[in-house]
Amino acid sequence: MALRSLSRRLGSRILSYRSSVASLHSHATSFGFQEVKEEEKSKLVGNVFTNVASSYDIMNDVMSGGLHRLWKERLVGKLSPFPGMKHLDVAGGTGDVAFRIYDAVYSVKRRALNKVDEASLEETQIYVCDINPNMLNVGKQRAAERGLRDNKSLVWVEGDAEALSFDDNSMDGYTIAFGIRNVTHIEKALAEAYRVLKRGGRFLCLELSHVDIPIFKDIYDLYSFQVIPNLGELIAGDRESYQYLVESVRKFPPQERFASMIADAGFEKVEYENLVGGVVAIHSAIKL
Amino acid sequence: MVRISRVLLKYAGFAIDKTLSEILVCPLSKQPLRFCEKTKSLVSDTIGVSFPIKDGIPCLVPKDGKMLEEEGDTSKA
Repeated sequence: MALRSLSRRLGSRILSYRSSVASLHSHATSFGFQEVKEEEKSKLVGNVFTNVASSYDIMNDVMSGGLHRLWKERLVGKLSPFPGMKHLDVAGGTGDVAFRIYDAVYSVKRRALNKVDEASLEETQIYVCDINPNMLNVGKQRAAERGLRDNKSLVWVEGDAEALSFDDNSMDGYTIAFGIRNVTHIEKALAEAYRVLKRGGRFLCLELSHVDIPIFKDIYDLYSFQVIPNLGELIAGDRESYQYLVESVRKFPPQERFASMIADAGFEKVEYENLVGGVVAIHSAIKL
Repeated sequence: MVRISRVLLKYAGFAIDKTLSEILVCPLSKQPLRFCEKTKSLVSDTIGVSFPIKDGIPCLVPKDGKMLEEEGDTSKA
């Protein structure tokens, strides 16, 4: 009798371990609801972003009714940027988050009275890293439109979130907005984030997440699967990419699971905040 | 003072790229990179790979790296 309950407990523990390993593996081999080879995923995602790069910003506005701007404001607010900081924005192609951080740093200068440390302001470095050159080009173009083309504070780098080209303990902040969902191996990206952050550095992730609220969940599902792909077709001329987008949101680990993955990477004080009932979540953590 | 140095940097051409090579490391070995004047690329001497710079953007995705066959054969990059 005792043996049976013991084996059942062991069995459930093995099952939960296997399911967590399985869910990581399933993220690496899923492209939305499709099963793909691990090596393929990165290329497929690359194609999506090459296709949508030029209409990426306008689609964000349309799909979220402009709300994505508020979400990014909130993300940057949580970061508390300061002059002289070294910040890395991963998967930040078109520059939305980077520009906001830039504005926050330089506007603090404007608002502050006389005690502005010009030297440290000059040292501010915001690195925008994206695996897709088309997205980076859009970002650089937007920087030029803002008169920031030759600005030394903004550095655009093409790179892989799973193998960052930045030194250990070099960044005060790390953000990834709507990017981690597209990475093949989430745990590698988290490990890299941990590696490049200094002690005391903040990790912030803004991502589409899971809604549990009854009725609202159904409305959200309807909107996701019925409306968004059609918008993608209409505005970006690309239904498949936006179908991938909404599917990839469903396949991404839910808030609690993702938080535990962040903790597994070594981070402390892991927290998350749901926005719009969980449509979006901001996960934050510190490297101590 | 700052303005003068900024102007100098602009006219120095690839000085900005030099700054990059001081900050960035090889994505594979995590060792420092060297800016190669001849090929305008970032070289990781540790593993013998060079990474291109396109439109002022360093391409440091691991699969973008090109193996350097010999000492002087960086023209392949």
